[in-house]
Amino acid sequence: MKRIRRTMVVLLAFWKLNWLEELQYRGNFVASLLSTVFWLAMAMLTVALYFGHTTQLGGWGYWDVVVLLGVFNALTGVVETVLRPGIGHLPTDVRSGALDLVLVRPVDAQFYVSFRRLDVWRLADVVLGLGLSAYALAQTGRSVGVWQIVSFIVTFAVAIAVVYSIWVTLMSFAFWFVAVENMATLFDAVIDAARYPVSAYPGALRFVFVYLIPIAWTTTIPASALTGRLDPSLAMWAVVVGVAALGASRLLWRVALKRYTSAGG
Amino acid sequence: MAARSRVATLRDQYAELLRSAFLVDLQYRASIAIWLVWGITEPIISFAIWWSIAAGGAVDGYTRDGFARYFFGVALVNQATLSWDAWNIDRWIREGEMNHRLTRPIAPIHEAIADNIAYKGPTAAIILAVWVVASIFWPAVRIPFEPGRWALGIVAIGLAAAIRFFNGYATGLLAFWTTRATALVELQFGISLFLSGRIAPLSLLPPRVVHVAQYLWFPYVLSFPVEILTGAVTTWQQYARGYAGQLVWLAIWLLLYLLVWTRGRRHYGAVGG
Repeated sequence: MKRIRRTMVVLLAFWKLNWLEELQYRGNFVASLLSTVFWLAMAMLTVALYFGHTTQLGGWGYWDVVVLLGVFNALTGVVETVLRPGIGHLPTDVRSGALDLVLVRPVDAQFYVSFRRLDVWRLADVVLGLGLSAYALAQTGRSVGVWQIVSFIVTFAVAIAVVYSIWVTLMSFAFWFVAVENMATLFDAVIDAARYPVSAYPGALRFVFVYLIPIAWTTTIPASALTGRLDPSLAMWAVVVGVAALGASRLLWRVALKRYTSAGG
Repeated sequence: MAARSRVATLRDQYAELLRSAFLVDLQYRASIAIWLVWGITEPIISFAIWWSIAAGGAVDGYTRDGFARYFFGVALVNQATLSWDAWNIDRWIREGEMNHRLTRPIAPIHEAIADNIAYKGPTAAIILAVWVVASIFWPAVRIPFEPGRWALGIVAIGLAAAIRFFNGYATGLLAFWTTRATALVELQFGISLFLSGRIAPLSLLPPRVVHVAQYLWFPYVLSFPVEILTGAVTTWQQYARGYAGQLVWLAIWLLLYLLVWTRGRRHYGAVGG
Protein backbone atom coordinates (compact mmCIF):
# COMPACT_ATOMS: atom_id res chain seq x y z
CA MET A 1 0.00 0.00 0.00
CA LYS A 2 2.82 2.31 0.93
CA ARG A 3 4.54 1.41 -2.33
CA ILE A 4 1.48 2.39 -4.33
CA ARG A 5 1.25 5.75 -2.56
CA ARG A 6 4.89 6.40 -3.18
CA THR A 7 4.49 5.52 -6.86
CA MET A 8 1.56 7.93 -7.13
CA VAL A 9 3.57 10.76 -5.58
CA VAL A 10 6.38 10.20 -8.07
CA LEU A 11 3.98 9.97 -11.00
CA LEU A 12 2.12 13.13 -10.00
CA ALA A 13 5.39 15.01 -9.92
CA PHE A 14 6.25 13.69 -13.38
CA TRP A 15 2.84 14.56 -14.79
CA LYS A 16 3.16 18.11 -13.49
CA LEU A 17 6.50 18.60 -15.22
CA ASN A 18 5.11 16.91 -18.27
CA TRP A 19 2.13 19.29 -18.35
CA LEU A 20 4.34 22.35 -18.04
CA GLU A 21 6.43 21.05 -20.93
CA GLU A 22 3.40 20.38 -23.11
CA LEU A 23 2.08 23.89 -22.50
CA GLN A 24 5.05 25.15 -24.50
CA TYR A 25 3.90 23.21 -27.53
CA ARG A 26 0.33 24.40 -27.85
CA GLY A 27 0.70 24.40 -31.63
CA ASN A 28 0.82 20.63 -31.38
CA PHE A 29 -2.68 20.67 -29.95
CA VAL A 30 -4.13 22.30 -33.06
CA ALA A 31 -2.13 20.01 -35.33
CA SER A 32 -3.19 16.84 -33.56
CA LEU A 33 -6.81 18.02 -33.47
CA LEU A 34 -6.81 18.68 -37.23
CA SER A 35 -5.21 15.32 -37.86
CA THR A 36 -7.81 13.50 -35.75
CA VAL A 37 -10.71 15.30 -37.44
CA PHE A 38 -9.23 14.45 -40.86
CA TRP A 39 -8.81 10.75 -40.07
CA LEU A 40 -12.29 10.58 -38.52
CA ALA A 41 -13.67 12.05 -41.74
CA MET A 42 -11.76 9.45 -43.81
CA ALA A 43 -13.06 6.66 -41.58
CA MET A 44 -16.65 7.89 -41.91
CA LEU A 45 -16.28 8.17 -45.70
CA THR A 46 -15.00 4.59 -45.74
CA VAL A 47 -18.04 3.41 -43.82
CA ALA A 48 -20.26 5.48 -46.12
CA LEU A 49 -18.63 3.79 -49.12
CA TYR A 50 -19.38 0.35 -47.71
CA PHE A 51 -22.95 1.35 -46.95
CA GLY A 52 -23.37 2.58 -50.50
CA HIS A 53 -23.33 -1.10 -51.41
CA THR A 54 -25.04 -2.72 -48.42
CA THR A 55 -27.57 -1.95 -45.71
CA GLN A 56 -25.77 -3.66 -42.84
CA LEU A 57 -22.33 -4.87 -41.75
CA GLY A 58 -22.52 -8.01 -39.63
CA GLY A 59 -25.98 -6.99 -38.49
CA TRP A 60 -25.00 -3.38 -37.68
CA GLY A 61 -26.61 -0.42 -39.43
CA TYR A 62 -24.74 2.68 -40.63
CA TRP A 63 -25.13 4.76 -37.47
CA ASP A 64 -24.40 1.73 -35.28
CA VAL A 65 -21.05 1.34 -37.06
CA VAL A 66 -20.40 5.07 -36.55
CA VAL A 67 -21.07 4.62 -32.82
CA LEU A 68 -18.38 1.92 -32.89
CA LEU A 69 -16.06 4.21 -34.83
CA GLY A 70 -16.42 6.80 -32.06
CA VAL A 71 -15.52 4.19 -29.46
CA PHE A 72 -12.51 3.20 -31.61
CA ASN A 73 -11.34 6.81 -31.74
CA ALA A 74 -11.77 7.27 -28.00
CA LEU A 75 -9.79 4.11 -27.35
CA THR A 76 -6.94 5.05 -29.68
CA GLY A 77 -6.98 8.42 -27.90
CA VAL A 78 -6.19 6.60 -24.65
CA VAL A 79 -3.44 4.67 -26.44
CA GLU A 80 -1.86 7.85 -27.84
CA THR A 81 -2.19 9.77 -24.56
CA VAL A 82 -0.82 7.15 -22.19
CA LEU A 83 0.45 3.93 -23.74
CA ARG A 84 2.55 4.95 -26.73
CA PRO A 85 4.53 7.66 -24.89
CA GLY A 86 4.80 5.44 -21.78
CA ILE A 87 5.20 1.73 -22.23
CA GLY A 88 5.71 2.21 -25.96
CA HIS A 89 9.07 3.69 -25.09
CA LEU A 90 10.20 0.53 -23.30
CA PRO A 91 12.13 -1.12 -26.18
CA THR A 92 14.29 2.01 -26.50
CA ASP A 93 14.94 1.97 -22.73
CA VAL A 94 15.90 -1.70 -22.84
CA ARG A 95 18.24 -1.15 -25.76
CA SER A 96 19.93 1.91 -24.30
CA GLY A 97 20.02 0.67 -20.72
CA ALA A 98 17.91 3.64 -19.53
CA LEU A 99 15.68 1.12 -17.77
CA ASP A 100 18.35 1.00 -15.04
CA LEU A 101 17.20 4.42 -13.92
CA VAL A 102 13.66 3.12 -13.53
CA LEU A 103 14.61 -0.05 -11.68
CA VAL A 104 16.59 1.75 -8.99
CA ARG A 105 13.58 3.90 -8.13
CA PRO A 106 11.50 2.73 -5.15
CA VAL A 107 8.39 2.33 -7.30
CA ASP A 108 6.66 -0.50 -9.14
CA ALA A 109 8.56 -0.66 -12.43
CA GLN A 110 5.63 -1.74 -14.62
CA PHE A 111 3.33 0.90 -13.16
CA TYR A 112 5.92 3.60 -13.50
CA VAL A 113 6.97 2.68 -17.05
CA SER A 114 3.33 2.52 -18.13
CA PHE A 115 2.15 5.86 -16.81
CA ARG A 116 5.27 8.00 -16.70
CA ARG A 117 4.30 10.33 -19.53
CA LEU A 118 1.06 11.75 -20.87
CA ASP A 119 0.57 13.29 -24.30
CA VAL A 120 -2.25 15.34 -22.88
CA TRP A 121 -3.26 16.94 -26.19
CA ARG A 122 -4.34 13.56 -27.51
CA LEU A 123 -7.05 13.44 -24.83
CA ALA A 124 -8.98 15.49 -27.38
CA ASP A 125 -9.28 12.26 -29.41
CA VAL A 126 -11.15 10.66 -26.51
CA VAL A 127 -13.55 13.60 -26.30
CA LEU A 128 -14.07 13.70 -30.09
CA GLY A 129 -14.64 9.95 -30.21
CA LEU A 130 -17.19 9.90 -27.42
CA GLY A 131 -18.85 12.95 -28.97
CA LEU A 132 -19.17 11.15 -32.28
CA SER A 133 -20.62 8.09 -30.54
CA ALA A 134 -23.19 10.26 -28.75
CA TYR A 135 -24.16 11.99 -32.01
CA ALA A 136 -24.45 8.72 -33.91
CA LEU A 137 -26.45 7.22 -31.08
CA ALA A 138 -28.91 10.10 -31.31
CA GLN A 139 -29.21 9.45 -35.07
CA THR A 140 -30.18 5.83 -34.47
CA GLY A 141 -33.13 7.08 -32.44
CA ARG A 142 -32.47 4.51 -29.73
CA SER A 143 -33.21 5.51 -26.15
CA VAL A 144 -30.19 5.24 -23.90
CA GLY A 145 -30.99 3.97 -20.43
CA VAL A 146 -29.01 3.60 -17.25
CA TRP A 147 -28.06 0.02 -18.13
CA GLN A 148 -26.53 1.13 -21.43
CA ILE A 149 -24.44 3.82 -19.76
CA VAL A 150 -23.29 1.62 -16.88
CA SER A 151 -22.46 -1.35 -19.10
CA PHE A 152 -20.63 0.97 -21.51
CA ILE A 153 -18.48 2.40 -18.73
CA VAL A 154 -17.65 -1.09 -17.47
CA THR A 155 -16.92 -2.57 -20.91
CA PHE A 156 -14.90 0.50 -22.00
CA ALA A 157 -12.76 0.03 -18.89
CA VAL A 158 -12.35 -3.61 -19.94
CA ALA A 159 -11.37 -2.42 -23.43
CA ILE A 160 -8.64 -0.20 -21.96
CA ALA A 161 -7.43 -3.14 -19.84
CA VAL A 162 -7.27 -5.42 -22.90
CA VAL A 163 -5.45 -2.84 -25.02
CA TYR A 164 -3.06 -2.14 -22.18
CA SER A 165 -2.38 -5.87 -21.83
CA ILE A 166 -1.66 -6.17 -25.54
CA TRP A 167 0.89 -3.35 -25.22
CA VAL A 168 2.52 -4.87 -22.14
CA THR A 169 2.75 -8.21 -23.95
CA LEU A 170 4.23 -6.76 -27.14
CA MET A 171 6.64 -4.49 -25.30
CA SER A 172 7.79 -7.32 -23.00
CA PHE A 173 9.08 -9.08 -26.11
CA ALA A 174 11.66 -6.28 -26.25
CA PHE A 175 13.55 -8.11 -23.52
CA TRP A 176 14.01 -11.06 -25.89
CA PHE A 177 14.28 -9.27 -29.23
CA VAL A 178 16.36 -6.25 -28.41
CA ALA A 179 16.99 -5.39 -32.07
CA VAL A 180 13.31 -5.12 -33.00
CA GLU A 181 12.53 -1.41 -32.92
CA ASN A 182 9.03 -1.35 -34.30
CA MET A 183 7.13 -3.77 -32.08
CA ALA A 184 4.43 -1.10 -31.61
CA THR A 185 3.71 -1.36 -35.34
CA LEU A 186 2.23 -4.81 -34.71
CA PHE A 187 -0.33 -3.15 -32.46
CA ASP A 188 -1.14 -0.56 -35.13
CA ALA A 189 -1.62 -3.36 -37.65
CA VAL A 190 -3.91 -5.41 -35.43
CA ILE A 191 -6.03 -2.64 -33.93
CA ASP A 192 -7.11 -1.42 -37.37
CA ALA A 193 -9.34 -4.48 -37.54
CA ALA A 194 -11.26 -3.11 -34.54
CA ARG A 195 -12.79 -0.34 -36.68
CA TYR A 196 -15.65 -2.64 -37.63
CA PRO A 197 -17.93 -4.92 -35.62
CA VAL A 198 -16.35 -8.32 -35.25
CA SER A 199 -19.50 -9.92 -36.68
CA ALA A 200 -18.63 -8.37 -40.07
CA TYR A 201 -15.62 -10.67 -40.43
CA PRO A 202 -15.55 -14.22 -41.80
CA GLY A 203 -15.71 -17.00 -39.19
CA ALA A 204 -11.98 -17.77 -38.97
CA LEU A 205 -11.00 -14.12 -38.42
CA ARG A 206 -13.83 -13.73 -35.90
CA PHE A 207 -12.38 -16.63 -33.90
CA VAL A 208 -8.95 -15.00 -33.94
CA PHE A 209 -10.32 -11.62 -32.81
CA VAL A 210 -12.37 -13.09 -29.95
CA TYR A 211 -9.93 -15.63 -28.54
CA LEU A 212 -6.38 -15.19 -29.83
CA ILE A 213 -5.87 -11.45 -30.41
CA PRO A 214 -8.79 -10.28 -28.26
CA ILE A 215 -9.63 -7.05 -30.10
CA ALA A 216 -13.32 -8.02 -30.29
CA TRP A 217 -13.49 -6.95 -26.64
CA THR A 218 -12.03 -3.52 -27.36
CA THR A 219 -14.62 -1.84 -29.58
CA THR A 220 -17.39 -4.26 -30.53
CA ILE A 221 -18.41 -4.95 -26.93
CA PRO A 222 -18.53 -1.33 -25.63
CA ALA A 223 -20.32 -0.23 -28.82
CA SER A 224 -22.76 -3.12 -28.34
CA ALA A 225 -23.40 -1.80 -24.86
CA LEU A 226 -24.25 1.66 -26.23
CA THR A 227 -26.48 0.36 -29.02
CA GLY A 228 -28.36 -1.90 -26.62
CA ARG A 229 -27.30 -5.22 -28.14
CA LEU A 230 -25.16 -6.38 -25.22
CA ASP A 231 -26.24 -9.50 -23.38
CA PRO A 232 -25.68 -9.09 -19.58
CA SER A 233 -23.83 -12.42 -19.49
CA LEU A 234 -21.46 -11.14 -22.18
CA ALA A 235 -20.77 -8.08 -20.04
CA MET A 236 -19.78 -10.42 -17.22
CA TRP A 237 -17.50 -12.33 -19.58
CA ALA A 238 -15.93 -9.07 -20.67
CA VAL A 239 -14.96 -8.33 -17.09
CA VAL A 240 -13.44 -11.82 -16.80
CA VAL A 241 -11.49 -11.28 -20.03
CA GLY A 242 -10.22 -7.88 -18.85
CA VAL A 243 -9.00 -9.22 -15.51
CA ALA A 244 -7.46 -12.32 -17.13
CA ALA A 245 -5.65 -10.18 -19.72
CA LEU A 246 -4.23 -7.89 -17.04
CA GLY A 247 -3.10 -10.88 -14.96
CA ALA A 248 -1.49 -12.69 -17.88
CA SER A 249 0.38 -9.60 -19.06
CA ARG A 250 1.60 -8.88 -15.53
CA LEU A 251 2.95 -12.44 -15.35
CA LEU A 252 4.70 -12.06 -18.70
CA TRP A 253 6.19 -8.73 -17.60
CA ARG A 254 7.73 -10.35 -14.50
CA VAL A 255 9.22 -13.21 -16.52
CA ALA A 256 10.52 -10.77 -19.11
CA LEU A 257 12.03 -8.37 -16.58
CA LYS A 258 14.15 -11.21 -15.17
CA ARG A 259 15.92 -11.35 -18.53
CA TYR A 260 17.02 -7.74 -18.29
CA THR A 261 20.74 -7.54 -17.76
CA SER A 262 21.19 -3.84 -18.52
CA ALA A 263 22.96 -2.57 -21.59
CA GLY A 264 25.37 -0.67 -19.40
CA GLY A 265 27.17 2.42 -20.47
CA MET B 1 44.39 7.31 -68.55
CA ALA B 2 40.94 8.08 -69.77
CA ALA B 3 38.55 9.49 -67.24
CA ARG B 4 35.95 7.05 -66.09
CA SER B 5 32.62 7.74 -67.60
CA ARG B 6 29.97 9.13 -65.29
CA VAL B 7 27.75 6.17 -66.03
CA ALA B 8 30.41 3.70 -64.89
CA THR B 9 30.98 5.66 -61.69
CA LEU B 10 27.29 5.83 -60.96
CA ARG B 11 26.97 2.09 -61.61
CA ASP B 12 29.74 1.30 -59.12
CA GLN B 13 28.24 3.67 -56.58
CA TYR B 14 24.85 1.99 -56.95
CA ALA B 15 26.37 -1.48 -56.59
CA GLU B 16 27.91 -0.37 -53.31
CA LEU B 17 24.77 1.45 -52.05
CA LEU B 18 22.61 -1.56 -52.89
CA ARG B 19 24.99 -3.99 -51.22
CA SER B 20 25.04 -1.96 -48.01
CA ALA B 21 21.25 -1.45 -48.08
CA PHE B 22 20.74 -5.22 -48.45
CA LEU B 23 23.06 -5.93 -45.55
CA VAL B 24 21.32 -3.39 -43.30
CA ASP B 25 17.92 -4.91 -44.19
CA LEU B 26 19.25 -8.37 -43.45
CA GLN B 27 20.34 -7.16 -40.04
CA TYR B 28 16.88 -5.74 -39.36
CA ARG B 29 14.91 -8.62 -40.89
CA ALA B 30 12.62 -8.97 -37.86
CA SER B 31 11.62 -5.29 -38.05
CA ILE B 32 11.05 -5.67 -41.78
CA ALA B 33 8.80 -8.67 -41.20
CA ILE B 34 6.71 -6.49 -38.86
CA TRP B 35 6.45 -3.69 -41.45
CA LEU B 36 5.37 -6.31 -43.96
CA VAL B 37 2.57 -7.51 -41.65
CA TRP B 38 1.51 -3.90 -41.11
CA GLY B 39 1.43 -3.31 -44.86
CA ILE B 40 -0.87 -6.19 -45.66
CA THR B 41 -3.41 -5.73 -42.86
CA GLU B 42 -5.18 -2.86 -44.61
CA PRO B 43 -5.95 -4.85 -47.80
CA ILE B 44 -6.89 -7.88 -45.66
CA ILE B 45 -9.38 -5.86 -43.61
CA SER B 46 -10.89 -4.20 -46.69
CA PHE B 47 -11.14 -7.60 -48.37
CA ALA B 48 -12.82 -9.15 -45.32
CA ILE B 49 -15.46 -6.39 -45.23
CA TRP B 50 -16.18 -6.61 -48.99
CA TRP B 51 -16.30 -10.41 -48.66
CA SER B 52 -19.03 -9.99 -46.07
CA ILE B 53 -20.91 -7.41 -48.20
CA ALA B 54 -20.68 -9.65 -51.30
CA ALA B 55 -22.31 -12.55 -49.41
CA GLY B 56 -25.60 -11.79 -51.14
CA GLY B 57 -24.09 -11.68 -54.64
CA ALA B 58 -21.82 -9.56 -56.82
CA VAL B 59 -21.30 -5.90 -55.89
CA ASP B 60 -21.25 -3.85 -59.11
CA GLY B 61 -19.63 -6.74 -60.96
CA TYR B 62 -17.24 -7.73 -58.18
CA THR B 63 -17.89 -11.19 -56.76
CA ARG B 64 -16.17 -12.50 -53.63
CA ASP B 65 -13.55 -14.08 -55.89
CA GLY B 66 -13.13 -10.82 -57.78
CA PHE B 67 -12.47 -8.98 -54.52
CA ALA B 68 -9.94 -11.66 -53.53
CA ARG B 69 -7.95 -11.12 -56.74
CA TYR B 70 -8.22 -7.35 -56.47
CA PHE B 71 -6.89 -7.17 -52.92
CA PHE B 72 -4.10 -9.65 -53.57
CA GLY B 73 -3.12 -7.23 -56.33
CA VAL B 74 -3.39 -4.25 -53.96
CA ALA B 75 -1.18 -5.95 -51.36
CA LEU B 76 1.48 -6.74 -53.97
CA VAL B 77 1.49 -3.41 -55.80
CA ASN B 78 1.32 -1.42 -52.57
CA GLN B 79 4.32 -3.26 -51.16
CA ALA B 80 6.27 -2.65 -54.37
CA THR B 81 5.42 1.07 -54.47
CA LEU B 82 5.39 2.14 -50.78
CA SER B 83 6.99 5.44 -49.89
CA TRP B 84 8.41 6.21 -46.48
CA ASP B 85 11.27 8.55 -47.32
CA ALA B 86 9.47 11.66 -46.10
CA TRP B 87 9.79 10.43 -42.51
CA ASN B 88 13.52 9.79 -42.93
CA ILE B 89 14.09 13.22 -44.44
CA ASP B 90 12.08 14.82 -41.67
CA ARG B 91 14.28 13.13 -39.07
CA TRP B 92 17.52 13.86 -40.94
CA ILE B 93 16.74 17.56 -41.15
CA ARG B 94 15.48 17.82 -37.57
CA GLU B 95 18.35 15.92 -36.00
CA GLY B 96 21.13 17.19 -38.25
CA GLU B 97 21.76 13.86 -39.98
CA MET B 98 21.26 15.67 -43.28
CA ASN B 99 24.55 17.50 -42.81
CA HIS B 100 26.93 14.62 -43.47
CA ARG B 101 24.73 13.44 -46.33
CA LEU B 102 25.16 16.81 -48.01
CA THR B 103 28.93 16.53 -47.89
CA ARG B 104 28.97 13.30 -49.90
CA PRO B 105 29.87 13.38 -53.59
CA ILE B 106 26.53 11.75 -54.39
CA ALA B 107 23.08 13.25 -53.79
CA PRO B 108 21.15 11.66 -50.87
CA ILE B 109 18.36 10.63 -53.22
CA HIS B 110 20.57 7.86 -54.67
CA GLU B 111 20.94 6.33 -51.23
CA ALA B 112 17.16 6.47 -50.87
CA ILE B 113 16.63 4.84 -54.28
CA ALA B 114 19.00 2.01 -53.36
CA ASP B 115 17.22 1.56 -50.00
CA ASN B 116 13.89 1.39 -51.78
CA ILE B 117 15.06 -1.25 -54.24
CA ALA B 118 16.75 -3.33 -51.53
CA TYR B 119 13.61 -3.27 -49.38
CA LYS B 120 10.83 -3.56 -51.93
CA GLY B 121 12.39 -6.25 -54.11
CA PRO B 122 12.54 -9.01 -51.47
CA THR B 123 9.37 -8.03 -49.59
CA ALA B 124 7.26 -7.77 -52.75
CA ALA B 125 8.70 -11.13 -53.82
CA ILE B 126 7.43 -12.62 -50.56
CA ILE B 127 3.89 -11.37 -51.24
CA LEU B 128 4.13 -12.65 -54.81
CA ALA B 129 5.23 -16.06 -53.51
CA VAL B 130 2.28 -16.13 -51.10
CA TRP B 131 -0.03 -15.25 -54.00
CA VAL B 132 1.40 -18.06 -56.15
CA VAL B 133 1.09 -20.63 -53.34
CA ALA B 134 -2.42 -19.39 -52.48
CA SER B 135 -3.53 -19.78 -56.09
CA ILE B 136 -2.55 -23.46 -56.04
CA PHE B 137 -5.02 -24.16 -53.24
CA TRP B 138 -7.56 -21.41 -53.94
CA PRO B 139 -8.48 -21.26 -57.64
CA ALA B 140 -10.43 -18.03 -57.10
CA VAL B 141 -7.28 -15.94 -56.72
CA ARG B 142 -5.68 -17.27 -59.93
CA ILE B 143 -5.20 -14.61 -62.55
CA PRO B 144 -5.28 -15.53 -66.24
CA PHE B 145 -1.99 -16.80 -67.69
CA GLU B 146 -1.09 -13.96 -70.03
CA PRO B 147 2.66 -13.19 -69.96
CA GLY B 148 2.19 -10.13 -72.17
CA ARG B 149 -0.28 -8.62 -69.68
CA TRP B 150 2.04 -9.44 -66.78
CA ALA B 151 4.92 -7.69 -68.51
CA LEU B 152 2.74 -4.60 -69.04
CA GLY B 153 1.76 -4.84 -65.37
CA ILE B 154 5.40 -4.94 -64.25
CA VAL B 155 6.17 -1.81 -66.29
CA ALA B 156 3.19 -0.06 -64.70
CA ILE B 157 4.32 -1.12 -61.22
CA GLY B 158 7.79 0.29 -61.90
CA LEU B 159 6.37 3.61 -63.05
CA ALA B 160 3.99 3.68 -60.08
CA ALA B 161 6.87 3.08 -57.67
CA ALA B 162 8.82 5.94 -59.30
CA ILE B 163 5.88 8.37 -59.03
CA ARG B 164 5.21 7.53 -55.40
CA PHE B 165 8.90 7.77 -54.62
CA PHE B 166 9.41 11.23 -56.09
CA ASN B 167 6.05 12.36 -54.69
CA GLY B 168 7.02 11.26 -51.17
CA TYR B 169 10.58 12.51 -51.47
CA ALA B 170 9.63 15.95 -52.80
CA THR B 171 6.92 16.39 -50.16
CA GLY B 172 9.35 15.23 -47.49
CA LEU B 173 11.91 17.82 -48.59
CA LEU B 174 9.46 20.54 -47.63
CA ALA B 175 10.88 19.80 -44.17
CA PHE B 176 13.58 22.30 -45.18
CA TRP B 177 10.94 24.96 -44.59
CA THR B 178 8.34 23.46 -42.23
CA THR B 179 8.24 20.98 -39.36
CA ARG B 180 4.95 19.58 -40.63
CA ALA B 181 5.99 18.14 -43.98
CA THR B 182 4.99 14.63 -42.90
CA ALA B 183 1.47 15.92 -42.23
CA LEU B 184 1.21 16.69 -45.96
CA VAL B 185 2.29 13.12 -46.71
CA GLU B 186 -0.39 11.83 -44.34
CA LEU B 187 -2.98 14.03 -46.03
CA GLN B 188 -2.16 12.45 -49.39
CA PHE B 189 -2.15 9.02 -47.75
CA GLY B 190 -5.70 9.60 -46.48
CA ILE B 191 -6.94 10.78 -49.87
CA SER B 192 -5.26 7.81 -51.57
CA LEU B 193 -7.43 5.44 -49.53
CA PHE B 194 -10.18 6.29 -51.97
CA LEU B 195 -8.62 7.81 -55.08
CA SER B 196 -5.89 5.16 -55.42
CA GLY B 197 -8.33 2.31 -54.93
CA ARG B 198 -6.82 1.13 -51.69
CA ILE B 199 -10.07 0.31 -49.90
CA ALA B 200 -12.22 -0.44 -52.94
CA PRO B 201 -11.88 -0.80 -56.71
CA LEU B 202 -12.40 2.64 -58.27
CA SER B 203 -15.50 1.45 -60.10
CA LEU B 204 -17.30 1.15 -56.74
CA LEU B 205 -16.74 4.84 -55.97
CA PRO B 206 -19.23 7.54 -56.95
CA PRO B 207 -18.59 8.41 -60.66
CA ARG B 208 -17.93 12.07 -59.89
CA VAL B 209 -15.13 11.14 -57.49
CA VAL B 210 -13.56 8.87 -60.11
CA HIS B 211 -13.84 11.68 -62.65
CA VAL B 212 -11.84 14.02 -60.39
CA ALA B 213 -9.37 11.27 -59.51
CA GLN B 214 -8.24 10.71 -63.09
CA TYR B 215 -6.78 14.22 -63.23
CA LEU B 216 -4.60 13.50 -60.17
CA TRP B 217 -1.75 11.00 -59.72
CA PHE B 218 -3.60 8.77 -57.25
CA PRO B 219 -5.19 6.20 -59.61
CA TYR B 220 -1.95 5.72 -61.56
CA VAL B 221 0.13 4.69 -58.55
CA LEU B 222 -2.02 1.74 -57.45
CA SER B 223 -5.36 1.19 -59.14
CA PHE B 224 -3.99 1.13 -62.71
CA PRO B 225 -1.26 -1.53 -62.17
CA VAL B 226 -3.60 -3.64 -60.02
CA GLU B 227 -6.32 -3.56 -62.66
CA ILE B 228 -3.84 -4.61 -65.34
CA LEU B 229 -2.99 -7.67 -63.24
CA THR B 230 -6.60 -8.57 -62.45
CA GLY B 231 -7.67 -8.11 -66.06
CA ALA B 232 -9.96 -5.11 -65.55
CA VAL B 233 -7.87 -3.08 -68.01
CA THR B 234 -8.67 -4.48 -71.46
CA THR B 235 -8.84 -1.96 -74.29
CA TRP B 236 -5.77 -0.26 -75.73
CA GLN B 237 -7.37 3.10 -74.91
CA GLN B 238 -7.38 2.17 -71.22
CA TYR B 239 -3.73 1.16 -71.42
CA ALA B 240 -2.81 4.32 -73.29
CA ARG B 241 -4.63 6.57 -70.84
CA GLY B 242 -3.06 4.77 -67.87
CA TYR B 243 0.51 4.89 -69.12
CA ALA B 244 0.11 8.50 -70.30
CA GLY B 245 -1.15 9.46 -66.84
CA GLN B 246 1.80 7.69 -65.26
CA LEU B 247 4.37 9.38 -67.49
CA VAL B 248 2.89 12.85 -67.05
CA TRP B 249 2.78 12.54 -63.26
CA LEU B 250 6.24 11.02 -63.10
CA ALA B 251 7.57 14.03 -65.01
CA ILE B 252 5.70 16.45 -62.75
CA TRP B 253 6.91 14.91 -59.49
CA LEU B 254 10.45 14.52 -60.81
CA LEU B 255 10.52 18.23 -61.70
CA LEU B 256 9.00 19.17 -58.36
CA TYR B 257 11.68 17.10 -56.62
CA LEU B 258 14.45 18.90 -58.54
CA LEU B 259 12.89 22.26 -57.75
CA VAL B 260 12.45 21.60 -54.04
CA TRP B 261 15.87 19.98 -53.74
CA THR B 262 17.84 22.86 -55.32
CA ARG B 263 15.88 25.55 -53.49
CA GLY B 264 15.71 23.69 -50.20
CA ARG B 265 19.42 22.96 -50.09
CA ARG B 266 20.16 26.68 -50.43
CA HIS B 267 17.57 27.54 -47.80
CA TYR B 268 19.03 24.93 -45.45
CA GLY B 269 22.54 26.27 -45.96
CA ALA B 270 21.29 29.68 -44.89
CA VAL B 271 19.93 28.50 -41.55
CA GLY B 272 21.84 25.32 -40.75
CA GLY B 273 24.58 25.53 -38.15
